[in-house]
Amino acid sequence: MVRFTKATTAWLLLTPMMTIIIGVVGYPLIKTVYYSFTAAHLASPATTDRWVGFKNYIKALGNSKFLDSIENTAYFVSVSVSAEIIIGVLVALLLNQAFKGRTLLRALLILPLALPTVVNAMMWRLIYGPDFGALNALLTQVGLLAEYQSWLGDPDLALWMVAIADIWKNFPLVALITLAALQTISKDLIEAATLDGANTWQRFWTVVFPAIVAPVSVALVLRTIEAFKVFDIIYVMTRGGPANSTKTVSFHVYQEAFAYMRIGSGASYALIVVLISALLIATYLWLIKKQGNTT
Amino acid sequence: MTALSLKNINKSFGDIRVIQNINLDIKPGEFVVFVGPSGCGKSTLLRMIAGLEDISSGEFWIGDRRADQLPASERDIAMVFQSYALYPHMTLAENIGFPLRLAKLPKDQINNKVQEIASILQLEHLLDRKPGQISGGQRQRVAIGRSLARDPKVILLDEPLSNLDAALRLEMRIELAKLHKQLEATMIYVTHDQVEAMTLADRIVILNNGEIAQIGSPLELYQTPINTFVAEFIGSPKMNLFPASVNEKKSQKKSIQIIGSNDEFAVDTNQHPPQELQTGNQIQVGIRPEHLVPSDTGKIKGTVTSTEQLGSDTYIYFDSDTIKQAVARINGVASIRPGENICFAVAHEHYHLFTSKGNRIKPTVL
Repeated sequence: MVRFTKATTAWLLLTPMMTIIIGVVGYPLIKTVYYSFTAAHLASPATTDRWVGFKNYIKALGNSKFLDSIENTAYFVSVSVSAEIIIGVLVALLLNQAFKGRTLLRALLILPLALPTVVNAMMWRLIYGPDFGALNALLTQVGLLAEYQSWLGDPDLALWMVAIADIWKNFPLVALITLAALQTISKDLIEAATLDGANTWQRFWTVVFPAIVAPVSVALVLRTIEAFKVFDIIYVMTRGGPANSTKTVSFHVYQEAFAYMRIGSGASYALIVVLISALLIATYLWLIKKQGNTT
Repeated sequence: MTALSLKNINKSFGDIRVIQNINLDIKPGEFVVFVGPSGCGKSTLLRMIAGLEDISSGEFWIGDRRADQLPASERDIAMVFQSYALYPHMTLAENIGFPLRLAKLPKDQINNKVQEIASILQLEHLLDRKPGQISGGQRQRVAIGRSLARDPKVILLDEPLSNLDAALRLEMRIELAKLHKQLEATMIYVTHDQVEAMTLADRIVILNNGEIAQIGSPLELYQTPINTFVAEFIGSPKMNLFPASVNEKKSQKKSIQIIGSNDEFAVDTNQHPPQELQTGNQIQVGIRPEHLVPSDTGKIKGTVTSTEQLGSDTYIYFDSDTIKQAVARINGVASIRPGENICFAVAHEHYHLFTSKGNRIKPTVL
C-alpha cells in the first residue's frame, strides 16, 4: 500500500478544488487583465489581440462618466451603509430587551435578508410605482403629498429611493451581528456600571458600545464592500437612470463591456473597481486581525 | 445606630415567594455573611439590598434613610460580583477610578484615590494593564478596589472567591479579613461555603428556603444550632444525627437512650420540663464528627464502610444499627480498615438534642 506524507495528502485533497478555482476564477481574471491592455470588441473578434498598453486605463481615469459613476457609488455607499449601521444597531438594542413577542420579531428580522435581491427590487419598484404605488397612496392619504409622484423618475430622488430599498434588505445583517455581540455582554457589567453610578446613556457608552464596536466595524466594512459592488438592484429598479443618476461603477462596467461590447476598456474599468474593492477588503482583514488581538 | 436595617422584607416572583419576612439589623463596620445552600435566596437578598431587584414588601433602611424606593445608583452601596465584572476595555486604573469619573471628580483627586487604593491592594505595578492581562486573584483585588473607590456606606460581596482555586481562595480570604479590619467598612458577604462564613464573619445569617434559619456569631451557630438544618450546615463534615428515645428515670429525671446502643444519659428537666421530652418520645441526638472518639469501651458501635486520610485528620465513615454513613473525625492518621467493627465514646456535654421535627431542645445534658 502506498503511504503518503501529511503534506502530500493535503495537496492531493486540495487539488480538485484548486483546479476548479483556477478554472473559474484564475483563468477569467488573467484573461480580464489581458483584455484590459487590448482594444477587444465583442462584435469584431479580430480586435482581441490588438495591444493598446495602458491606453484603456488612461482613458478610464479621464472618463467623466466613469468618474461620475464612482461618485454615485460613493454617495450610494455612504447613505445606505451609514443608515444600515444606525438602524441595525438601534434594532439590535431593541431586540435585546425583554418583551413579549421578541422571539417572533427576531425571526422576522431574517425575512428581508432571505429575500432575493431581484425580488426585493421588484417589490420596491411596485411600492414606488408612479400610478398605483403604495408609497404614493400612503403619502397622499395622510396628506403629506398633493399628487402622485414618479419617485424613480426624478434624478434628484432616484438614488435615495434605491438606497432605501437596499437599506431595508440589508440592515438586518447589521442588526444580527450587533445582537450577537450584545448577547456576549455580561449582565454583571451593566449592573456594576449601574452601581458605579452610570445612567442609561453612560452605560451604553462605557459598557455596551466598546463591546459592539469591533463586530459593528466588521459589519460596516462587509456592507461597504457589498454596497460598492451594487448592481442587481440598480439593474432591476432603474437601469442606471434617470439621466445616469443611479449609474454605479458596476453598472458602468456592465454597460461598457456588454451593452457597448467594448470588452477591452470594460476590463480596465472592472480592474479599477477590483483595486478599490481590494483596498476595502484589506481594511476588513486588518479589522478582523485587530479584533483577534484585542479578545 | 445601624448601618442597614431590613424590616419584614419579602420578595415574590409571581406566586413563588423567594424571600420571606427577613428582619435584620447590621451595625456599622460589621462583617455579615449570608450563607445557605443553592437556591436559598441569599444572592437575591443581596441584590435587593443593592437595588438590583425590587422588594415586594417590607422596609429597607440605610442608616436613617429609607432606601427601598431609591435607585441602585443613589444607595451609596458598592458591590463585588462573582464574575468580578471588570470593564474589559479599561485599564485597571480606569476600572478603579470609574465610579469617581462618573461622579465628575477632578482628575487629580481621581488619580490620588486610585493610587491610594492600589497601594492598599498592592496593585500599583499593574495599573496600566487591562483585566485580560492579569490573574484571577489580581482581578478580584481590582474588583474590591473599584468597590472601595467611592467610600461607600456598605460593600456587598457576592461569592467573590468562588472562581478562584483552593490555594488562592485561602490567600484572598485572609486578605479580605485583613482589609475589613484595616478599613472598618460595613460588609455583607454571600457564600455557600461555610468555611468562608465561619472564618470571615462577625455574624452569620443562615438562610433556608428564603427564610432566616438562624443569626449568630460563628461559634454560637456551631455550638448551639437552633435546628438540624443549621446543625448539619455548619461544621465539616456535617453533624451526625442519631435517633433516640426518652426514658423515665428516678427522682423525676429523664434519660435519653440512643437507639441501637446502650448509651444512656440523663437530662435536667427540673426547671421547665419540655413537651418534647415526654417519656416514650422519639428525638434526635446530634454528635459532631470530631466529638466521636474511638474507644474500646465506647457505647456507639458501628462497622467502618470507608476512610478518608487527609494527613492531619482521618474521616471514618461507619454504619451503625440506626444510621448509615455516620462520620467520625480523628486527629492524625488512623489505621482502620473498611469492614472493621468500631466503638466510639462521646463526652456527654457534646450531645445536641433535637425533636423528631428537628428543633433544638434546651435542657442541659447532665
